[in-house]
Amino acid sequence: MDKNTKLIQKTALPDALAALLPDYRVFAPAGENERLAFTRIDAQNAFALCLSGTPLMPPKELLFPRSETLYGTDIKTGDVSLPQTAGPTAVFGVRPCDAHGIANLDCAFLEKGYVDSAYAARREALTLIVLACAQIPYETCFCDSMGGGPAGSEGADVLLTETEDGSALVAAFLTGKGRAVKALWAAAGLLSDTGADATTKSANPAKAPPPCNLRISKDKGLAAKIAAAFDDPMWARFSEACLGCGTCSFVCPTCYCFDLDSENRGGTAEEFRCWDCCMFSDYSRMAGGHNPRPTKKERLRNRYLHKLAYFDERYGRTLCVGCGRCIGKCPAGLDIAAVIEWGGTL
Amino acid sequence: MAVDFEPKILAFCCNWCTYTGADLAGQSRMKYPENVRVVRVPCSGRVNPQFILRAFRRGADGVLVCGCHPGDCHYATGNYFTRRRFMLMRELLEFNGVDPGRFHARWISGSEAAKFRDTVSEVTRTVKALGPNERFQEASGEES
Amino acid sequence: MTNGQKQQLIRDRAAALLADGAVSCIVGWRQTRFAGKTAVCFVRAPEDATLLVWNEYTIPLTAKYLADERWTGGKAGILARGCDSKAINRLLRDNQLEREKLYIVGLPCEGKADERCRPCRQKTPLVYDELLWEEDSAADGGGTSAADADAPGRGRFFRADEVSALGIDARYDYWEDVYARCIRCYACRNACPVCSCRECYVDMHRAGFQSKRQNAADNRVFGVTRAFHVGDRCIECGECERVCPMGLPILGQTQKVIQTAEALAGAPYEAGLNAEDENFLGKFDLDDKDAFM
Repeated sequence: MDKNTKLIQKTALPDALAALLPDYRVFAPAGENERLAFTRIDAQNAFALCLSGTPLMPPKELLFPRSETLYGTDIKTGDVSLPQTAGPTAVFGVRPCDAHGIANLDCAFLEKGYVDSAYAARREALTLIVLACAQIPYETCFCDSMGGGPAGSEGADVLLTETEDGSALVAAFLTGKGRAVKALWAAAGLLSDTGADATTKSANPAKAPPPCNLRISKDKGLAAKIAAAFDDPMWARFSEACLGCGTCSFVCPTCYCFDLDSENRGGTAEEFRCWDCCMFSDYSRMAGGHNPRPTKKERLRNRYLHKLAYFDERYGRTLCVGCGRCIGKCPAGLDIAAVIEWGGTL
Repeated sequence: MAVDFEPKILAFCCNWCTYTGADLAGQSRMKYPENVRVVRVPCSGRVNPQFILRAFRRGADGVLVCGCHPGDCHYATGNYFTRRRFMLMRELLEFNGVDPGRFHARWISGSEAAKFRDTVSEVTRTVKALGPNERFQEASGEES
Repeated sequence: MTNGQKQQLIRDRAAALLADGAVSCIVGWRQTRFAGKTAVCFVRAPEDATLLVWNEYTIPLTAKYLADERWTGGKAGILARGCDSKAINRLLRDNQLEREKLYIVGLPCEGKADERCRPCRQKTPLVYDELLWEEDSAADGGGTSAADADAPGRGRFFRADEVSALGIDARYDYWEDVYARCIRCYACRNACPVCSCRECYVDMHRAGFQSKRQNAADNRVFGVTRAFHVGDRCIECGECERVCPMGLPILGQTQKVIQTAEALAGAPYEAGLNAEDENFLGKFDLDDKDAFM
C-alpha cells in the first residue's frame, strides 16, 4: 500500500481543517447558494462546509487578488512601504478544474524567464487540497473534454476522492506540501489505512468519477486551426449577442489580465493592480485613443484565441480548463464549448 | 468619537452668489468654522452627484452644495435642475445608509454673508456631532 | 393560445418578413443547449426562423442590441414584449434609434419565469408595427393583480421597500454586503437598455470619478452612480439584477430613484411609456419640492 494514500472520514473534515489552523490560513467552500465562496476559516467562526457545490468565484483570487497594493510612497517623506505577505495558506475543497487552472496561471506568472514576485510569494505559500468531483457541480462542466477530469490531480498537493459508499475520502498526498498536511492530519489521528490490498491494484476503494454533463470533442490541432481562422466570419456570429461585460473573465479560473494604476490615498501614493478584462473597451485602447480591437467581435475573438490558441503556442497547454462557469453565467448565452467544437471542424 | 474631532466639510459654491456671499462674509470679518473647504463652481447645476460620492469616498465628513435662490440663477434655470437632482440624491444617499446630516444644500445669495456663516456653522455642528465619516470607506484591508 | 402556438406564429411571421425583404434580420430568442436558458439571436435567412423560440424563459431584452454603436444591419425586425417596447421608446427619446429602421413585431407577454416580471404592468407592447396575438387578460402570468400589488414585498418597488424597511445602519450594511460581493463585471450596466453612453464614465478612469480597484467602497460608488445615471430612465425590466453573475439584489437602487421621483413630483412616474417624455432629471417645475431654503 502506498504510504501516501490514506483514508479520512467525512465526519472528520471539520477536525481536519482545525488541525491546519495553527500552521495555515485556511480557506474552504462555505456559505449557501450564491454566497458559496472560498471562506477564511478560523477557530471562532462556525461554518457550513459545502462539499456538494463549488463556489462561483474560483480560488485564483487567493493568488491573484481582485485588487492589491504593490507599494505605497509617503508623499511627504518619500518612504516606500511594501505590503506584508500573508503566511502559509491552505485551501481546501478546490475542484480539479480550478487546480488545473492554477497550474495554468503558474505558466503565465512564473515561467519564460518572467517571475511575478507577488504571485510567486503567494504561490509558494499555497497548499491546494483538491476534492475530486463526486457530483458534477454545474451542468456546464466539461473539464474531461479539456485534458483534465473530475478526479484530475494537476496542480494538487492533496487529492481527496470519495469512497464507493460516500462516507470517507481517499487522500493522496502528492507533493511535499501535501505531505506536510498529511503529517498534521496523522498527528491529529484523522487518517487510517485505506485497506486496499497492495498486491492487487484492483481494490482501490476510491469511486470512479462521474462524467461531465457537457461532452465535447476537442480537436488535437485546435490551437493551430482556430488561430488560422482569425478572419473567419463566424467570429461576428459568435459575438453578436455579446453584451461586452466582464462576467466571463471574472468568473474564469484562468483569466489573469490586470491593470496597473496609482492613487493618492491620504498622503500615500499607492501603486496598485486590479483585475482587468479584455472584453472592456478601455482594455486595448491606446494613448491617443486608437483601439485596435474596436468592437465586441475583435474583443471576443481575442479572448477565445487567447484561451484556445495563443496560450497553447507559448506554453503548450490550452488555457481553458472546462470549468463551465463562463457558459453558465454569460447573460447572453455565449458558449466557449461551442467555439471549441467549431474550431475542431475547421 | 474623539473629543477634538474636526470634520472636513467640502462646500461647492456657485460663483455668482454663494461664493460672493462667502467673500462678503470674509470682508465683513465674520467668523465661521475653518472646517469648510470651498470649491468654486460656475453654477450649482455644475455639481455632479459623483462629486458628492467622490468626496465621501476620499474622506469628506460632510458635503454642502450652495447656489442661487430659485429664480435668481445667472443662467436662468441651472439651479432648478440642481434642486431636483439633489432632492433626489439626498434620498438616495439616505437609502444607501448615509446619514442625512452629512449632505446639505442651501440657497445663499451674494448679499447673504450672514446666511453663509450660519449655514457653515450649522453644518459643521451637525457633522461634528455625527463624528468621522466611515461610510464609503473600505471596511478592512485588502486580501493579500 | 399556448406558447407552442405562439412560437409557431413567430417563426412563420419571421420567415415571411425575411423572405419578402421587409427586414434584414429578426432579433429574437433561441434555445441554448441548456434547459431553461435562452439567448438573444439574430436570424437573417427565412429558413433559420425555426431557431426562434417563445417560452417562459425567453427573458433577455432584445432592444439594446439595436443601439449597438456598430449596428449596420439595415431595417431590423425586432420581437418586442411590453418591456422591450418601453426600452425602444426610451432609446427613441434619447436619439439612440431611428424609428424608420425598426420593424416592431409586438408580442403580448404574460410574464416569464422570473420574480422580477411580477410587478410588470405592460403586457402588451406600447409601440409596434404589428401585433402577433392579443393579450390574454385571463392568463395569470407574471402581471400583478390589484390585491397582490398591495401585499408587502410584492409591489412595484418590492426590492426598494425591502431596504427602506431597515434602519439607516442596517441599510448601510445591506449594501456593504452587496457591494463586497460585487465583482464589477458591469453586466448590470451592459444589459441595461437605457444605459446608452458611447463611453461610460468607468472606462475613463483617468478622470478620477471611479477607481478601478475592486472593493466594497469603490463598488458602492459605482452602484450608486449607476442608479443615478439610469434611475429616472429605468423601464423596470429587471435585467440588471437578472444578469448579475453574483445574484446581487441591486434592483432596489433604481427602484428607489423612481419611487423618489414619484414622491417629489407628487404624480405617477414611469419611463418609456412613449417616445416623447423627458426624463425626470432632464426637466424641472418652478414649484418643485424644496428643502434647501
